[in-house]
Amino acid sequence: MRGRTMLKIYVYVLWFVMLAPIAITFPVAVTNTAYMTFPPIGFTLNWFKECFRDQILAETLIRSLELAALSATSAVVIALLSSFAFVRKNFPGKNLVEALFTGPRVVPLIILVLGMLLFYHSIGLAETFWGLVFSHLVITIPFAFRTLLASVSSLDIQLEWSARILGANWLTMFFRVIAPQIKTGLIAAFMFTFITSFNNVTMALFLSAPGERTLPVELFMRLQVGGISPKVPAFSFILALVGLMLLIVLDKTVGIYKYLAGEE
Amino acid sequence: MGKSGLVSRLVYPTRRYSWIIMIMPGLLVLVIFFLVPMVRLAQLAFYQPDPIWIYKPAFTLTNFAKFFSDPFYWGMIFNSLRVGLLTTVCTLLVGYPIAYYLSLSRGTERTILTAGFMLPLFVTMLVGTLGWYILFLPFGLVQRILQSLGLVSGPLRVLKTFTALVVVLGYLHLPYALLILVSSIQSVPREKIDAARTLGAPTWMIFLKIVLPLTMPGITSSAILVFALSSSSYLVPVLITGQSIPLLPIAIWRYTNETLNWPFAAANALILFAITIVVMYGLILLTNRISRRGKWEVV
Repeated sequence: MRGRTMLKIYVYVLWFVMLAPIAITFPVAVTNTAYMTFPPIGFTLNWFKECFRDQILAETLIRSLELAALSATSAVVIALLSSFAFVRKNFPGKNLVEALFTGPRVVPLIILVLGMLLFYHSIGLAETFWGLVFSHLVITIPFAFRTLLASVSSLDIQLEWSARILGANWLTMFFRVIAPQIKTGLIAAFMFTFITSFNNVTMALFLSAPGERTLPVELFMRLQVGGISPKVPAFSFILALVGLMLLIVLDKTVGIYKYLAGEE
Repeated sequence: MGKSGLVSRLVYPTRRYSWIIMIMPGLLVLVIFFLVPMVRLAQLAFYQPDPIWIYKPAFTLTNFAKFFSDPFYWGMIFNSLRVGLLTTVCTLLVGYPIAYYLSLSRGTERTILTAGFMLPLFVTMLVGTLGWYILFLPFGLVQRILQSLGLVSGPLRVLKTFTALVVVLGYLHLPYALLILVSSIQSVPREKIDAARTLGAPTWMIFLKIVLPLTMPGITSSAILVFALSSSSYLVPVLITGQSIPLLPIAIWRYTNETLNWPFAAANALILFAITIVVMYGLILLTNRISRRGKWEVV
């Protein structure tokens, strides 16, 4: 049992280490000075208020939310359709198609984005919002596909036959018979693709137009200039709180380990 | 299929080629926006750079010749490998005991621990990177703690060093490793451990002879993932070490955006990809030798 206690202490120390870099953004953000310092000098919540007054942050936040909503929704719909084809049908070249659907996971992001940049320049999608949406689809479809494939293969097909025999049309059947059975898979796929897309820096950094930054790119730009204003940690702390809330809600509803294992 | 096939044909009469419609959207998106760009990238790596047209579509090996004839670029490969391997080893060593504890934990403790360890997945990596940047600053906590413990006296220079890079990359990628390791450890059959214990095996032997070999596939897939992610990371090196450590991803970015030498950037990208694949297969071979099983999972 001594070993167990030591393991426990080790795990809790590491837990604090994992939280430290996120927690530290709070004390440096309440300083009364115009620069970051630790321990903070004085106490003020002005930097947090500043975040809500910042027009550029609001603008980029809305763009990021749009991007994430659009790519998560499309990724889930696309992945749901293809996972039905994969579970229910046999077709020539199935293995090849499967490799294509999971392929983007094994290619490093920087290589993926460089290929897209070169390709977008030759077809005129460079620095467009739609180009960015498609680039996010490439990284979100594989995850949504993997999650939904598991859900769809656990469906009870006999329920669908019954529904059809009883005269349900496709829409009714989907919403009354299929959707309730794969609800958690759908929620997990949507939420995690949304979060992946919202938080992604690399894609937008290479592919978005200078005037159309997403929120993470805007943060990156502010981190790169010297003399970071305490507004940046203040905003980071807000983002971390939102992330923590999402995490706990998701863990309680769908279970993180079940759906995230193996996610890139 | 038999009877169920018959029923399904009765119920879905005209659906024989429906799979085409169902996979079409995904297939189109991935062919156009994943496969074509990758082929284009590979193609461009063999084109001649051109100051006006960016590239001349004529086959050449000059990009690779330029890369491999210069020791600077060899150093870059070495640095990228070093960052990737060191981060992988540290992350797995730190992460395995945590994963073991997490797989045994239940209820509120599990939720609290999960929240702390998985948070980097839910917040943009810039937040964690900024946090470490603040911690590593000369006035930061790391300095204060080490100083109060009497471990260091003068100002630390952690920021901009290799150590800082590995710490931040390990922090960001630990959750990925943990997810794989936890599910791997949880799938070890309880009966085997109980049987070994009944037969009088001490805990360390149970770990070495049962848990470790059975979780080897999980260790390999998490190692592959952490290596691929950390050796190709561009954002962390830019923010933490700047240009002080030459790395392949930084070179790719510079040639793409600053010098506009796209063919050379593409060649760099191909080399980085080749390194990832070589290390990946190396790890798989190593696992197969250790666990003597042909089983491994790629993410």
